[in-house]
Amino acid sequence: MTDPPGSPDTVRPVLDCARLARRFGERVAVDDVSLRIAPGETYGLLGPNGAGKTTTIRMVCGLLRPDAGTVRVADRPVSTAAGPAKQLIGFVPQDVALYPDLSVRENLRFFGRLYRLPRRRLDRRVDEVLDLIDLTARAGDRVDSLSGGMRRRLNIGAGLVHSPTLLVLDEPTVGVDPQSRHAILESVNRFGEEGMAVLYTTHYMEEAERLCDRVGIIDRGRLVAEGSPRELVRLVAERDRIRLTAAGGLSGYAEACRRLPRVEGLARGGDHGDVVELVVKDARSLLPDLLDLAHEQGVDIRSVEIDEPDLEAVFLHLTGTALRE
Amino acid sequence: MGAVLAIAAKDLRQRMRDRSAWVIVFLAPVLISALMALAFNNNDEFRADIAVVDLDRGPAAAGLTQVLKSPELRGTVHVRSYGTEAAARRAVDAADVHAAVVVPAGFTASLHGGAAAPVKVLDSVDYGLQAQLARAVTESYVAQVNADRLSVTTAVAAGTPERDVSRLAAKAALLRLPEQVRAQGLPDDPLKVISYFGPSMGMFFVLFTVGFGARSYFVEQQQGTLDRIAAAPVGRGALLIGKSVSTFVYSLAGLATVTLVSWLAFGARWADPLGVAVLSVAMAVCVVCLTALVIALVRTEQQAQGLASILVFALALLGGNFVFASGTTPLIRRLAQFTPNGWALRGFTDLGTGVRGWDAVGAPLLGIAAFSAVVAAVTAVLLRLRRTP
Repeated sequence: MTDPPGSPDTVRPVLDCARLARRFGERVAVDDVSLRIAPGETYGLLGPNGAGKTTTIRMVCGLLRPDAGTVRVADRPVSTAAGPAKQLIGFVPQDVALYPDLSVRENLRFFGRLYRLPRRRLDRRVDEVLDLIDLTARAGDRVDSLSGGMRRRLNIGAGLVHSPTLLVLDEPTVGVDPQSRHAILESVNRFGEEGMAVLYTTHYMEEAERLCDRVGIIDRGRLVAEGSPRELVRLVAERDRIRLTAAGGLSGYAEACRRLPRVEGLARGGDHGDVVELVVKDARSLLPDLLDLAHEQGVDIRSVEIDEPDLEAVFLHLTGTALRE
Repeated sequence: MGAVLAIAAKDLRQRMRDRSAWVIVFLAPVLISALMALAFNNNDEFRADIAVVDLDRGPAAAGLTQVLKSPELRGTVHVRSYGTEAAARRAVDAADVHAAVVVPAGFTASLHGGAAAPVKVLDSVDYGLQAQLARAVTESYVAQVNADRLSVTTAVAAGTPERDVSRLAAKAALLRLPEQVRAQGLPDDPLKVISYFGPSMGMFFVLFTVGFGARSYFVEQQQGTLDRIAAAPVGRGALLIGKSVSTFVYSLAGLATVTLVSWLAFGARWADPLGVAVLSVAMAVCVVCLTALVIALVRTEQQAQGLASILVFALALLGGNFVFASGTTPLIRRLAQFTPNGWALRGFTDLGTGVRGWDAVGAPLLGIAAFSAVVAAVTAVLLRLRRTP
């Protein structure tokens, strides 16, 4: 396990986008978006369809010219022309972008050659990537003979052949079966651990929570909030809920719980029934105290449920709309 | 350079795996040109069976028959005699002969200054070229006879005694018109049908490469691989050049296959292999320019396919890929000069009839180069006008 990534404010960022803006006719797609990603950091750009995620990453990858603002990768400016910064970027588009009539290996070799990898290094990297995406056994098969999940993995592999410093993944799990999705998320986790900076767009908040060191919430082209998932949750000041189920006689226990410092209220239980529901600050850190208290009072806790606010709640709070709308 | 070669190699590999591409550029032109050669002539050489109906029975009519049987036309024109015009008509209709020349009674007598019925050429729609040849020879001969008659009539009008007219007419008949048009090459080295239809069909099908190339660009755009290439450190120029190189190689391979097969398997004659190579290269470059033009003009794969098809058939029709240029109207022959394939066919025709070097390929090369330059310039302007991302 490597060290956690440093903050882009303290180390030189791999990606530095400053005040990006882009409009299509009258429609503003991206409005004054700034973000930075440190080496080894996985940054999730979270937003519903049409929020401006894809437009942002197209500008990051030099596929679209911003109307305003700059993109720098490892301090090199990115433009739509072929500049040195593009050598450092690995782009994984949302849809599978491969040649169906070429083999798995031919696809990887072709995309590797675009990055001018010397022949020997290219051969080695292709083998490494095949191993990484678990397609070594299918290396000679045509892409159109692969399953959807395999194509998705190869789609990611094609962005990795040249060992990029910054990997940009545009919603790589859309339309993917659960098994392949799990494999993709595992891979992305590994990239971050190996020191690669990852920009990951998604509209699945659970993916962002699971993968990302930091998340930027984008809505109607604007970055409305940014921070670690926990920081974002704290930002909206919503409280956790703990539901404890026990065998009878809970009124005394409920009252004792309510007097604990971080318990803000009693939602249910006490007088009758076998359930106590508490509104608390930081449920996970409070849980040991609650269990100790139950032990002291001879209460036999049968089950514990913690209900924490998530990014979905954060998004709803910040934008007034649910994430999947 | 590495990216250019990678893109070109990838495109070629994809085309090699596309069976329809093999059929259209390699197989179809060879098969169709061979079929055309067989259909036009079993001996694979131009032949005209011409019937002669001599109703005059005089020396002037005999002279026309002699011209048709002259050493210059031997091997190409085969003369058969028929007694009546009706019999000759039936022979033409039955395709026993390709055309018939009917010399009317009194044709020789008209040399002495009298009036005569015109010489008729009976033709068939199925053998237009042979009929054209019969008509050309007859018109040439009649022009000579008319010149003789004119000179005799002039002499009589000037007071030459009646008794000297026959002598004068005989003398005049020995003279030839001062200016005669001579077809270069043709008399010594007749054009083999395969030498025309080989490159003709080769070019027609290679023009389909325009559609392949343009479509491949939009297919890449649709499947997202174009974005992937653009996200790599590859300039737009490298992408276009890479795709152009593959189109060029593919077109050239198609033309080379047709010319080689028509030479080795069907006996096509090329006076100057270097000339054939140069014309093929020029046409391949032109195909690249046309492909770029289609890409610059359209937005979708379907539009590319549609426009390329229109372009291919228009050029093939105007350029003479389906019929001998000599068998078309003067307007079409003039329009052929605005097509690269028309110019190339002209060059191949010359090379197939023994003309060599710059004489054969000079004008066609300039014609193809001019067309390509105009197309390239228009394409450059269109691409510049297109909104950049």
